[in-house]
Amino acid sequence: MTDDMDLDQMFATARAERDHLPDALSARMVADATRVQEDRATTEPVVRPGIWAQLRMSLGGWTGMGGLATACAAGVWIGLAPPDFLPDPVGLVYQQELDVDLLFGVDETGILTEDG
Amino acid sequence: MTQPADVSGNAPKGAFRNVSKDAPCDDALLVLFANGDAQAARELTARLGPRTYAVALRVLGNRAEAEDVAQEAMMRLWRVAPKWEQGRAKVSTWLYRVTLNLCLDIKRRQRAVDLDTVSEPENGEPSVADRLQDITRMDALQGALMKLPDRQRQAVVLRHIEELSNPEIAGIMDISVEAVESLTARGKRALTAALSGRRAELGYDDD
Repeated sequence: MTDDMDLDQMFATARAERDHLPDALSARMVADATRVQEDRATTEPVVRPGIWAQLRMSLGGWTGMGGLATACAAGVWIGLAPPDFLPDPVGLVYQQELDVDLLFGVDETGILTEDG
Repeated sequence: MTQPADVSGNAPKGAFRNVSKDAPCDDALLVLFANGDAQAARELTARLGPRTYAVALRVLGNRAEAEDVAQEAMMRLWRVAPKWEQGRAKVSTWLYRVTLNLCLDIKRRQRAVDLDTVSEPENGEPSVADRLQDITRMDALQGALMKLPDRQRQAVVLRHIEELSNPEIAGIMDISVEAVESLTARGKRALTAALSGRRAELGYDDD
């Protein structure tokens, strides 16, 4: 009876032969590869991505562009309706306008007195 | 038996030909090939060709058919190179799968022609009796392998000759790990039974 050990020995012998490649077959494989390379070089134009595709790739693909759009929308929203712990930029602008001194520090009481 | 080096960090034992740790991985060579590097084609052939041929030979049991299958499998690799997505699959795994599918195609065509010829091992080479004992054993093993059902034979070859892991075989054959274990166990039992009674002939009766 051929036992497992015999079978394992036979597998080991088979493994010893597995790295053999007939020279003629190797040459045919390389010739095929060369032919495929040559065909590709002569028949396939170089396809370059368009401007939008390049921009999309440079921004990290659709995922990156989505993140960028979300960040932009969040920035606009925070600018218009800031949370309580942030200063309100719109309010600050109006506050600055209210503080503008059009009389350059001249006391208007004095002016009225002179005219009167 | 030396084990192949793992240059890509994910090749278990049983992967294709030994390569030094400084050599580019199969993926990188494929990119070089797609860019027209002729040396990459030679290196890929030397690295992947032998095992592609060996698997086809063990599964088909016919040298001429195995050469055709190995050449066609490599041709498909050359053609797919420009579209290869790095990291998606191991080149060796992809090549095993293509090779086995080509072998199955041949088997199906043979069945359609003549059911009686499928299980017969090739034995057309002369003077087997004069060859070395290892060759005799390999002929016996091949003959027993050819009597296995196709899927059992594929699993046994990948597991015990190519030394792939069960999960990798499952990926190549598109079946579960449990199915691989079942196929290889039944295959080994069938091989043992098929080779029973040939110990003396095969030189196993001297212990």
